[in-house]
Amino acid sequence: MKLQTKINIRFLAVTFLVFSVAGVLFYFALDKVVNQNIREMLESRKAYIILNLQQNTPTSESIESPDHSIFIKRTEKTEQYIVFSDTMAYDQEEKELIPFRKMTFSVHSGGQHYEVILLQSLLESEDLQMIIFSFMAALFGIVLLALFFLNRWLSNKAWNPFFKSLSVLNNWKIGESQAVSFDRTGISEFDQLNSTLENMMQKIQTDFVNLKEFTENASHEIQTPLAIIKSKLEMVLQDKTLNDHQYQRIRAAFESANRLSKLNEALLLLSKIENRQFVDSSEIDFCMLIQSRLEYLEELFALKQIEVTVHLEKQVTFSMNPLLADILINNLLSNALRHNVKKGKIIISSENQGITISNTSEQAEMDVSRLFRRFAKQTTASESNGLGLAIAHEICNNYDLELNYRYLNGMHCMTIRQKSQISTNL
Amino acid sequence: MKILVIEDEAALCETMVAYLEEEGYRCEQAGTVELGSEKVNLYEYDCMLVDIGLPDGSGLSLIKELKKCHPETGIIIISAKNSLDDKISGLDLGADDYLTKPFHLPELNSRIKSLLRRRKFEGKQELVIEEIIIQPENRQVFVGGEQLPLTRKEFDLLMFFVSNRGRVLTKESIAEHLWGDFADSADSFDFVYSHIKNLRRKLLERTGTDYFQNVYGTGYTFIA
Repeated sequence: MKLQTKINIRFLAVTFLVFSVAGVLFYFALDKVVNQNIREMLESRKAYIILNLQQNTPTSESIESPDHSIFIKRTEKTEQYIVFSDTMAYDQEEKELIPFRKMTFSVHSGGQHYEVILLQSLLESEDLQMIIFSFMAALFGIVLLALFFLNRWLSNKAWNPFFKSLSVLNNWKIGESQAVSFDRTGISEFDQLNSTLENMMQKIQTDFVNLKEFTENASHEIQTPLAIIKSKLEMVLQDKTLNDHQYQRIRAAFESANRLSKLNEALLLLSKIENRQFVDSSEIDFCMLIQSRLEYLEELFALKQIEVTVHLEKQVTFSMNPLLADILINNLLSNALRHNVKKGKIIISSENQGITISNTSEQAEMDVSRLFRRFAKQTTASESNGLGLAIAHEICNNYDLELNYRYLNGMHCMTIRQKSQISTNL
Repeated sequence: MKILVIEDEAALCETMVAYLEEEGYRCEQAGTVELGSEKVNLYEYDCMLVDIGLPDGSGLSLIKELKKCHPETGIIIISAKNSLDDKISGLDLGADDYLTKPFHLPELNSRIKSLLRRRKFEGKQELVIEEIIIQPENRQVFVGGEQLPLTRKEFDLLMFFVSNRGRVLTKESIAEHLWGDFADSADSFDFVYSHIKNLRRKLLERTGTDYFQNVYGTGYTFIA
């Protein structure tokens, strides 16, 4: 959910709640004021009637005012009382039943007891109440609407620097972009955020460069002594006076030096991939790439009498660094070849944006959790350094690709495909 | 043939020079850009081997300098930095070849020979080893006037051996020569073995001489 939507929804909800509560309270307050008003009116009429009764004694049993609002009758009841009640009465003018407030009280005057009934129409006050209330409701509505738009405009304006910074961050690619600078916003929080971001990015950038330099230096520093060891051993191997024993020993040292140098190269490659130092990428047609690699490996397949079946009718392209694409395919094909059996099979197929390389092997199903780990050799007697699949996996990871392993019908299957949409969006 | 070796690592420089001198080259050494620049300006060389990472600067500047005063000199870059940028900028400046440390000495030797052949004789030089005649330019081999059909890999292999006559070539260096960066792909040693077997058989059938010698567990030597 967008920040503004969230803020707006909350703002509207709270405003609406406040307005509703205020509306209800206002209604009751209004009601109370009107009631009080009517009561006071009735009280003043009561005082007037009592005064009148004391001055003139009525002649008949009962008197009724022409508008039926006052009704006085003689009564035997001696107790004093005053009762308010609501009633409906037929109004001649309006020609309908309208609500009245009724006040019944007793008066003792001139040795006589009277019961007086006063009626006060509620129609006007109810009308008034209705008008005031609807006016208030309309006002609330307008205020709410105005507040909503004002709030949206304000938050749009206020958050603008934030969204700007966000887009700068989104476009920032480590190792590629120049130093990032944010415009001054004039809002202290955002300026603070931007300067923190600037410092952080600068730090990341320098760390990245340092790390890159370190890996390159490490490579240089390790490869040079290795080159010396190898070349010296090579020189010794040229010596015709060596006996078989000596040959064997030097040979073993030479082999180890070779392995060490390959290992160093592979580890460096892995760290370079992890550091995302292979920046430029282009659309690579993997079917073409595999075809060309296969031609190169043809002789090796023939040597092991491996039957290679290729189904690459569907074109599959991934955006990738060309060198890494080469390494990825080479590692997977080498793997399929190395762990294959004599007269085995390799099947390479492409289907909806994915490529699968399957091979037969002496080994049973692999442990997926260990398969892509470094140095997770599952066979001991091989020249592999245990980094091939780790490198392949890392390359795929780097480009949001999935490298999946399955064991199907006695074949080990490796599939490269685009990561599902859901996971890439996260 | 004079070769200038510019390499700051004394031990490595010494080994390279020793190997190349055994091949009959006259070598001079330089360990810094300054010294290298002095030699480049004073003398003429047939080939220069130059390390990119030198203590007082980049070997790339030496390439520029050499190209100015002696453009006919062949240049091979030797670098530990296996980075594409260095390679491209080096080749752009006019270097002929690029070798990444650590390399095999026979590989270096074979690269120098092929470079000199291209530079000095425009590749038209014929190599004659007893009754075998090799034309590197059009990749053909003749035995007793008759062409010997070889596959691409077999020809590369023969050239590698001929360039390093009498040397022990390890299986690793052969595999790397034929396969480059992908030498450790799978069973490349078996592959080397089968190619040598074929080449050996073809030469033996036509010449009656076995030019290849097994060196116990290590590799092969081409004797002629």
